[in-house]
Amino acid sequence: MDTLLSGQLLFAALVSGSLYALVALGLNLVYGTLRLLNIAHGDLVMIGAYTAFWAISLLAIPPVVSLVIAAALCALLGWAVYAGLFRRMLARPDLAKRVEANSLILFYGISVILQNLAALAFTSTSRGYQYLDTVITWQCVSMTGNRLLSLGVAAAVCFGTLLFLRFHLFGWSLRAVIQRREAAQVVGVNLNRVQMLTICAGFAVAGVAGVLVSMTEQITPFMGFPFTIVAFVVIIIGGLGNIGAGVLAGFCLGLVETYGIALTSPGYRSILIYGLFVGVLLLRPEGIFTKAVRS
Amino acid sequence: MILGVALAVFGAAVPAFGSPYLMGVVFQVAMWIALAQSWSMLSATTGYLSLGHAVFYGVGAYVCVLLTGTIPFELALLAAAAAAALFAALVGMPVLRVRGPYFVILTYGLSELVRHVVMRIESALGSFGRMIFDVPATEVLLWWMVGLAVLATLGAYAIRHSRFGAGLAAIREDEVAAETVGVPVTRLKLLAFIASAAIPGAVGGLALLRTSYFEPAQAFDPVISFTIVTMALVGGTETVRGPILGAVGFALLSELLWSSLPQLYMIVLGVTLIAFILFVPRGLSGLVGRIGRAG
Repeated sequence: MDTLLSGQLLFAALVSGSLYALVALGLNLVYGTLRLLNIAHGDLVMIGAYTAFWAISLLAIPPVVSLVIAAALCALLGWAVYAGLFRRMLARPDLAKRVEANSLILFYGISVILQNLAALAFTSTSRGYQYLDTVITWQCVSMTGNRLLSLGVAAAVCFGTLLFLRFHLFGWSLRAVIQRREAAQVVGVNLNRVQMLTICAGFAVAGVAGVLVSMTEQITPFMGFPFTIVAFVVIIIGGLGNIGAGVLAGFCLGLVETYGIALTSPGYRSILIYGLFVGVLLLRPEGIFTKAVRS
Repeated sequence: MILGVALAVFGAAVPAFGSPYLMGVVFQVAMWIALAQSWSMLSATTGYLSLGHAVFYGVGAYVCVLLTGTIPFELALLAAAAAAALFAALVGMPVLRVRGPYFVILTYGLSELVRHVVMRIESALGSFGRMIFDVPATEVLLWWMVGLAVLATLGAYAIRHSRFGAGLAAIREDEVAAETVGVPVTRLKLLAFIASAAIPGAVGGLALLRTSYFEPAQAFDPVISFTIVTMALVGGTETVRGPILGAVGFALLSELLWSSLPQLYMIVLGVTLIAFILFVPRGLSGLVGRIGRAG
């Protein structure tokens, strides 16, 4: 019981919760504005992690700088997906229909390609590096510098995004597109511009999360998929397209997972995550998809 | 139909004068035909794309490994098929309420959940992979596998050309309208789900007998599900010969690449899948049909 009440466990829960919130934030932004469930989202986390790893081991660039590099790289990928796929879909309705019907399989294919390209280029060996791993003790809670940094950056990006959506004009138009796409266009929101910038932002956020993960976890070509699953769980619990609730749900999942593992054993982590995933999908009324098609 | 018969004759001829290597290739080809045809019984007819058929394969393999040695292998294979069908019947009702991309990720998540549960059970039992001895001769297994491929092909043909298949097609076109005019959608979907699960169960059992080694991470490998979907979609889902074309093509390609360059094989799989979804929606079967009409 003592371990359950310790600040140590709460800190661990906050660190993983903030990461989950961050990964899910990117997925949710993209889903909300483009109605695209990007199953390759976790692989962007993997790309961010490799970016940080190679930057520090080849060029001695610290992860703090890699945050920017990874964000830019993933944003570029987002732009490529938008320009390559979505512009074309707008021009050809038959293509759009086909992509919509098969979108998940399509992006699963992209995910398989990214994972295996990474495996081919970097081999499947798991990699890691050491950065800010000195232990800081505060009020009998021991934490490493990198975890503290991870928590700080993830929380800052999440809440920064929420504030931006609340107070900036572009944030308003983004929320308008999520809520009523047609109506937003009527009142003068440039749908194309919002969608393109959102996919770039959503992908960039995943890249940032990847850099944060790489500071504390092993990096492998196949590390991304669990993050995709976690992000799905988070945004389904929080409500698809509901950005604020998604952030909250991310922190909640971190708490549930950390305390769940503390009560059982780490071997149950995957069962817990996948169990939650299947559970929320089954309990969700099927209405979520019909709504997605209409808008 | 003709393809099915030709395949049966080919498969029958092989054990008589084939080399062990050739028998291995035919076994693989027949296995993927059986899996892709079974998948098409649900997914091609109703448009409910399953990305979790590995779960039926895995359940079949698991049941078979538990039963081998206690009963004749023919009965163990029947039990494997029955167990997979029973599993489909149990989860079918809630799972089939979920539509579109959510059905795709739900089947994937369910398959992963079962994989992790079985892995947990096996490690709790202190088993790290089970070896089995006294497996039937390769020729016998090959006969069974070719039989399953023919059975699956005939089954897929029969379903498409029956009242049952017409009901499933109505579900694919417009489920709400189908229900309104009196199609018992829930019952039909469940029956199609069970039908498409049974043969993969037996296939999993046979594949286990051939490798004589069971390891849950491999038996429930999500790559199996992805390969089935790719083969069926690339082959073409509109005709019965489509999955055969896809399965033969990729099984032969995997003979070339899998052992030396598995990552490259997966990349080719992903790229082909995406290219076919975007540019060749009717698949290889549609291409062959077009050439046939032109010539």
